[in-house]
Amino acid sequence: MEAQIRQILSEQARLPVDIGDLDDDADLYQAGMTSHASVSVMLALEDAFDIEFPESMLRKGTFESVSAITAALTTLVGAPAE
Amino acid sequence: MRARRFLSSMRDQAGAVDETFGALRVGTDLVPVAHVAESVAEFGDRYVGRVYTAHEVSCCQGTPSVVAAGLAARFAAKEATIKVLRPVDHRPDWRSIEVRRDPAGSCVLHLSDEAARLAEVQGISNWAVSLTHEAGMAAAVVVAVCDGDSAGSGGGRSDSEKER
Repeated sequence: MEAQIRQILSEQARLPVDIGDLDDDADLYQAGMTSHASVSVMLALEDAFDIEFPESMLRKGTFESVSAITAALTTLVGAPAE
Repeated sequence: MRARRFLSSMRDQAGAVDETFGALRVGTDLVPVAHVAESVAEFGDRYVGRVYTAHEVSCCQGTPSVVAAGLAARFAAKEATIKVLRPVDHRPDWRSIEVRRDPAGSCVLHLSDEAARLAEVQGISNWAVSLTHEAGMAAAVVVAVCDGDSAGSGGGRSDSEKER
């Protein structure tokens, strides 16, 4: 799951740095992800994991780091496989 | 020293404006039109439907580049409005912040749901918005008058003192 999230971030987040250089807990907004880019990230995640983020999860914190995204997806699709 | 006196003078003037009209809040945002065009191309109606209202879409008709420029300006207005509303964590649905255009071409903001609730809690009732797009970039400026007595925890005299 985490590798897929990082792949989507590398394609959609428009970060000025390599996603591979960021820790799981690094703040993606601080790293340069804009609000508009976060919409593309959200839609790409929905496509990849066949889910839809409910309105209650549309918080800035949901998409602020790889860890936060992993936690949100785990809630929506179940625990990630080992 | 001269700069300090100037800043002090400006703060005094801002204070006078606050007492007369309530505190002013300003939000601004800049969006590359190409980013919106790419989102429309990749995600289509899912992107448009999750972010923009039917009225906003109806106001952005024409060639793909014209559509993208109009949508980008409206996205900038939504983000500028969020900067004024200062939500602590939960971001209002993008569609609860709507740019409405009257037949004469003027744009006004219309808030609903969570965005309207945040505005009410903070005593914001008067809004003005201005959109522009040029050379591949779209921008919006939003100004709001905030009732000084209910400015909320984020209220301050000068938005320029906070980096958002």
